[in-house]
Amino acid sequence: MSTTTETSKAQTEPVPPWRRFDSAAIMILPGIVFMTLAFAIPVLNLVADSFRDADGLTLAGYRKVLGDPYYVGIIWNSLKLGIVTTLGTLVLGYPAAYALSRAPPRLQVLLFALIFLPLSVSIIVKTFGLTIMMRRDGILNWLLVTAGFVDRPIRLVFTEFALYFGMVNVFLPFMLLPIYSVMRQLDPRLTDAAASLGAGPVMTFLKVTLPLTLPGIVAGGSLVFSIAVAAYVTPGLLIGDRYMTMSQVMAKAYLNIRDFNLGASMAVIMLTIAVIIVFASTYFAQSAGRKGGPS
Amino acid sequence: MSSATAAAASEPVNPRDERYLEVTGVTKRFGATVVLEALDLAVGRSEFVSLLGPSGCGKTTLLRLIAGLLKPDAGRLHVDGDDITRLAAHKRNIGVVFQNYALFPHLTVEQNVAFGLLAQRRPKGEIVAQVDHALGLVRMKAFADRRIAALSGGQQQRVAVARAIIVKPTLLLLDEPFSALDRKLRETMQIELRHLLRDLGITSIFVTHDQDEALVMSDRIAVMNEGRIEQLGTPGEIYRSPSSLHVMEFVGQSTRLAGAVESVSAGVAEIRTPLGVIRAPVGRMGARVGEAVVFGVRPESMALGDRADGDFNHVRAELADIVFFGAKTALHFKAPGVDDRIQAEVARVPAGLSPGSQVDLRWPVTETMVYPAP
Amino acid sequence: MIARLAFGFCWFILGLVLVFLFIPILIVLAVSFTESAVFSFPPQGFSLKWYWAIRNADGLMASAWLSAQVAFISTCVSLVLGTLCAIAVVRRLVPAGDAIATFMGSPLMIPGLVLGIAFLQAARHVGLRDAYTTLLIAHVVLTMPFIMRTILASLSLFEFSMLDAARTLGCSYPAALWRVLVPNILPGVMSGALFAFIASFDNYPISIFLVDVRTKTLPIQLLNQLEMSPDPTVAATSALLILATIAALMVCDRLVGLKRMATI
Repeated sequence: MSTTTETSKAQTEPVPPWRRFDSAAIMILPGIVFMTLAFAIPVLNLVADSFRDADGLTLAGYRKVLGDPYYVGIIWNSLKLGIVTTLGTLVLGYPAAYALSRAPPRLQVLLFALIFLPLSVSIIVKTFGLTIMMRRDGILNWLLVTAGFVDRPIRLVFTEFALYFGMVNVFLPFMLLPIYSVMRQLDPRLTDAAASLGAGPVMTFLKVTLPLTLPGIVAGGSLVFSIAVAAYVTPGLLIGDRYMTMSQVMAKAYLNIRDFNLGASMAVIMLTIAVIIVFASTYFAQSAGRKGGPS
Repeated sequence: MSSATAAAASEPVNPRDERYLEVTGVTKRFGATVVLEALDLAVGRSEFVSLLGPSGCGKTTLLRLIAGLLKPDAGRLHVDGDDITRLAAHKRNIGVVFQNYALFPHLTVEQNVAFGLLAQRRPKGEIVAQVDHALGLVRMKAFADRRIAALSGGQQQRVAVARAIIVKPTLLLLDEPFSALDRKLRETMQIELRHLLRDLGITSIFVTHDQDEALVMSDRIAVMNEGRIEQLGTPGEIYRSPSSLHVMEFVGQSTRLAGAVESVSAGVAEIRTPLGVIRAPVGRMGARVGEAVVFGVRPESMALGDRADGDFNHVRAELADIVFFGAKTALHFKAPGVDDRIQAEVARVPAGLSPGSQVDLRWPVTETMVYPAP
Repeated sequence: MIARLAFGFCWFILGLVLVFLFIPILIVLAVSFTESAVFSFPPQGFSLKWYWAIRNADGLMASAWLSAQVAFISTCVSLVLGTLCAIAVVRRLVPAGDAIATFMGSPLMIPGLVLGIAFLQAARHVGLRDAYTTLLIAHVVLTMPFIMRTILASLSLFEFSMLDAARTLGCSYPAALWRVLVPNILPGVMSGALFAFIASFDNYPISIFLVDVRTKTLPIQLLNQLEMSPDPTVAATSALLILATIAALMVCDRLVGLKRMATI
């Protein structure tokens, strides 16, 4: 490894940055210019939009969104959706990832592919399948009746249960795979060592396995939370207007009622949440990495 | 042996053979940093020359200039009389074995070795025969169908050598090819490679920062420092009469002492040091009275005993450490007013000698190497 | 004892998770083969008529064709822009390479709807009315992170001294790029491109703000039909999408192996 770095150093011998920039500018400029014009400026412009309306500068959008209990409730709805989905996927994903990481190699590859496929299938298609599944004559009701939980088919679609059930279904692979990739690297001898030192299984889990797999939980959790908070398609199809989220308000503000200031304010709040999650998870990952030592 | 040498010497020497590779006045800058400055080097046909120096001395840059991977800012390069200064790398037919081998992971061993011949669009039958031959030379025939990732470090190195020599290069350049191998394997591969290249008669230039490697393998060594060649000579010359303090310190062990010249007579200087007056041949340096100098002594020149007649220098010092190496034992001494340890080498430690003993040391005046103080 | 029970429990959960993940997909496949015109489960009879109906279904074919075009073109543009940037960053030809890589990858961290609104407003500001062009620009931004990540990963594994080796063996610089760099990074780049294509082809939250009546991508059209007049044609289209996804994953597996992709 050290030999490689030595060579590459030898090849890029001291060249002042400004001189190197000239020759390479042609390579990066098209990409940078495009992304600045088509991405950075529109996003900044959206942030600016949230502070202005037809009459000039205003905080009306934020006053409306943060002052009205109706909109505060909607923000809470989005956060709740994110939290419930994250917890739901974690409860299922963590043990499943553990079993997957301890499976024999060939089976592991197959199982991995089986989890990767649903991840890649279009969200609309999966949600469509979920709506059929939860119809009154769907398979879920059939299971509930057969198992004796209910006497006759109940209404599932457009309930909060349907929403959470569907969200966990759609986003589970995003939790499972990051945890799995950390667990795969976990040395089984560590738990053996803990056991040989007299730690019981519960102790071993709490003191060894859980702390070492925390980076995976943080990665999966931040990913699921950030997508779930902003989810639009799945809540729209499974519960619709009965459970208003920030995404619904934003879409309506732009597509129906044309209150751009309101929509932009909501979008900036969502953007802020996304940015906080990115920074928080990076921070947690770093501090977890530091605690984990030089491994 | 001696008659063969005499016969060779009586033949007229072709000047083109002595200057097979000729580097004249080559300068290379990276931005404001001058990496090589007006460097000259001549290498004879079939010679094996090492470029030895610390990292950053410009040896790899020189190698890349010869290979055509870099263009010099000034100066010329000739191979066998042809000016190759402006020739592109892929037209030079100079083989290179890279530090990390740079084998192609998407190809098999066989395909890697055949790469150069394919690039030259040789006929298929010839390629097959040549690849077979080259793999035979490096004893890798059994691995022809393997992927590169499936080979050990030593095997990868053999493939890299086979890939470089198959095109019958006019020159073979080797960039620290042993640095990734462990010590045992490295020693085996050094001897193996030296034999192979001698048999094939390929002119080779070998970059290394490992002095032992350079001493073992080379016909001649060019010791480099800060973009210049400080000394070019046979391993014996480099070791026994280093031309500068840097060469002395870079090649082999030595004890370094400082002092001032008191007098010079008949090519021998008397130097005042904290350990007394030391005499040394001034040689080409030509010391002036009063000048500060540094001198060095190889550990094997040092002997125990106090016969301080005209041919020997003598000091008294306290034994500090005894370091056992098997075939030899190193003795480290300390003396008042001397920062570094004085090093001596003995085959066997005399009875009764232990750390703390006061010991007499002597060494021949002729084996004292003097340089101006840096 | 507790450890064994816990381990068994984990396996039970894994089995449950697999069933849970596959049920919606299997249901879609099952419904697409039904005979009746209303969704029903369990499906009644067996027929392929809904697959035939896709051809005549209002706008499905047109929107699928549009989505394919947008996904293909935007992926290609991202490939060109992203490859150039990635080479400059990996070879340290520019200062602040890490910052550039982060910038080019950051659209992935921003919620899709927010991006969609940003594009919509920007298009309004500059007076860009053509939905097709707006969609293309937005989807280049959308696909760029996928491309950047995979190319950076592929290039960082590439040993650039191999190019020198190829040159000393008689290849000109362009020939060395073609014969050594390209075959070594192509598998990674292709799988990245495939993922970018899927991301663009499936995108809803960005496209919803940019489409117009005549220019609708497939996800928009599908969701419209689901909300308006659901019939098994939608299921048949979805089933075809599932099959296409399986095919794409198999190609990726051949190129780089699925495991490596998961880390991207």
